[in-house]
Amino acid sequence: MTGATLDIGERHSVGELTDLAYELRRKLLELCGTYEGAVHIGGDLSVADILTVLFHHGLRVDPDDIANPARDRFVLSKGHAAVCMYIAMAMRGFFAYDEIVDTYGQLDSAYGMHPCKVQLPGVEASTGSLGHGLPLAVGMALSARHRGEKHRVVTLLGDGETGEGSVWEAVMAGRSQKLGNLVAFVDRNRQLMTSFAEERVMFEPYPDKWRAFGWNVIEVDGHDMAQLVDAIDRLPDPDSDVPTVVVCETVKGKGVDFMERNLAWHAGSLGAEDLTRALAALDASRGTTAADIAPADTHEEAR
Amino acid sequence: MPVTFTFGEMLSARSVIGSTLAELGETHENLWVLTPDIGATLVEFRDKYPDRFVDVGLAEQACVGIAAGLAYDGNIPVVSGMLPFLSMRALEQVRTDVCYPNLPVKIIGTHGGLVGNGGSTHYAVEDLSLMCSLTNMTVTSIGDPVMVGEIIRQSMDMTGPIYIRLAVGKKDKVLYEDGQHEIRIGKGIVARDGSDVTLFTHGTTVAQALDAAEQLAQDGVSVRVVDMFTLKPIDADLIERCAAETAGRFVVLEDHLSYGGLATRVADVVADRGIRLESFERLGIPQVYAGFGEDEQLRDKHGYGLSATVAALRRAAGPATRAAADEPAAV
Repeated sequence: MTGATLDIGERHSVGELTDLAYELRRKLLELCGTYEGAVHIGGDLSVADILTVLFHHGLRVDPDDIANPARDRFVLSKGHAAVCMYIAMAMRGFFAYDEIVDTYGQLDSAYGMHPCKVQLPGVEASTGSLGHGLPLAVGMALSARHRGEKHRVVTLLGDGETGEGSVWEAVMAGRSQKLGNLVAFVDRNRQLMTSFAEERVMFEPYPDKWRAFGWNVIEVDGHDMAQLVDAIDRLPDPDSDVPTVVVCETVKGKGVDFMERNLAWHAGSLGAEDLTRALAALDASRGTTAADIAPADTHEEAR
Repeated sequence: MPVTFTFGEMLSARSVIGSTLAELGETHENLWVLTPDIGATLVEFRDKYPDRFVDVGLAEQACVGIAAGLAYDGNIPVVSGMLPFLSMRALEQVRTDVCYPNLPVKIIGTHGGLVGNGGSTHYAVEDLSLMCSLTNMTVTSIGDPVMVGEIIRQSMDMTGPIYIRLAVGKKDKVLYEDGQHEIRIGKGIVARDGSDVTLFTHGTTVAQALDAAEQLAQDGVSVRVVDMFTLKPIDADLIERCAAETAGRFVVLEDHLSYGGLATRVADVVADRGIRLESFERLGIPQVYAGFGEDEQLRDKHGYGLSATVAALRRAAGPATRAAADEPAAV
């Protein structure tokens, strides 16, 4: 079957993937510097490593054959990270980065704040409203299982998003239907839009909540490329019965010190001066992981 | 072997859902049936195609989302359950996951209107208003149990979503003689022809409308009953024709809030096309939570039962009634 022949793409070392994630962050910041409207830069930067490892290592996808039935499916449940996904996909060859930057948010552009499959067929699903991606992924995984196909269905959720009840409905459904071909990544950045998560909503013990629902749980530092690669390499066989969640400990705004764990940078735009400052900060932060960054102890709301 | 049903016979609409889906499952290998724990009527499909049947338990939002995921992968999913919950609790999933990408998900359910004595948590009385407002959604409300099967069959060829509303679905009167009416999604059915006034209705109240028309006929008033089972897209040409052919007198009867449902759909056509009417009256649920009681009791209490329908038709056809009374033949 075709599934056996769809190549995973160029094999990258952990060092090369780290460089690609750095490049992705640079491109994100550059877009944020040219586009005058709001970009969800905080949540984009927190998933840059995850999306890099998915599109350059984990997902069997072919930019030249986007509808190949053997491809792995990817659903961006945290749809507000669309820009990061567009650019990660552009770096894999799906789209032209210049086209994203030149048209983002403009009339008739295929690229906007939340992904739309009707306008951009390269993405698998239209998302944006939170708590929808996992049920969609369950349906896709069910369909794959029924056809006897071996591809995986992968979705990326924000941790705040998992406050939505529909997520836990789908967590139950995924386990009940024994979907070992279903994989959820959670961007555990511990920030909601207006608060630090544990202040307002008690998510902890977070991985245990997934375990209690019967999922296979892998916990990683979401900015440690070696750990992310290892998590993907350790995923159970798609024919197995238990879905997997990879809980990625992350930092919102990762890579730009004045954005990191700063509620002011859920979304925003950078002027020329701030862009220079942000790019310098990005260079300075190379090689750091979530574990290297101290938890926020104050609410620095002003930029 | 085809099964035939006779006009006036009582039949379970929900059993028609189950048998039709079981039949279609054979010819449509990509047909899936999903339910949030309302699976009794679907046993036939479940037993024949267990690997294409999903009961998610009490989880309407995930049920609709999973259906959309299946549809993204080229399947035809049917979500079957109780409409108060599919149309409201899962409304955003219907809108965002199904309608936005225009996926061929069919939502078929029971408990449309003040049926089943469940109280206001269990009545779908805003559902048609909500569904009609969704882009890409086709909206139907079916009274005849045999028609349910026909509409489900027709819906298999649709590229976008459809909403199919039934009453409780346990015991419904067969309204149409086999082959006597053209039944096509998007086209109203002239269930009874008439020339003095048009009574537009859908779903559970079609039978009541026919009874009311029969009563008026005793007085020489000719009532046209239109089963406007497709609320969206509405058969605007038929509405325009009815205005011309029934002296611009309209009554709309429905088991739904009287604003937001069929009456509103008809009024929109009248306004948009500049149709001149002599009279327009809407019979349906006022802005109240309806309380308990049998279906007919509730309709009477809230002003859209049989006697209220007859009275409204008399009001609408007032001049026609008088003219009929003046004729020697009517004396």
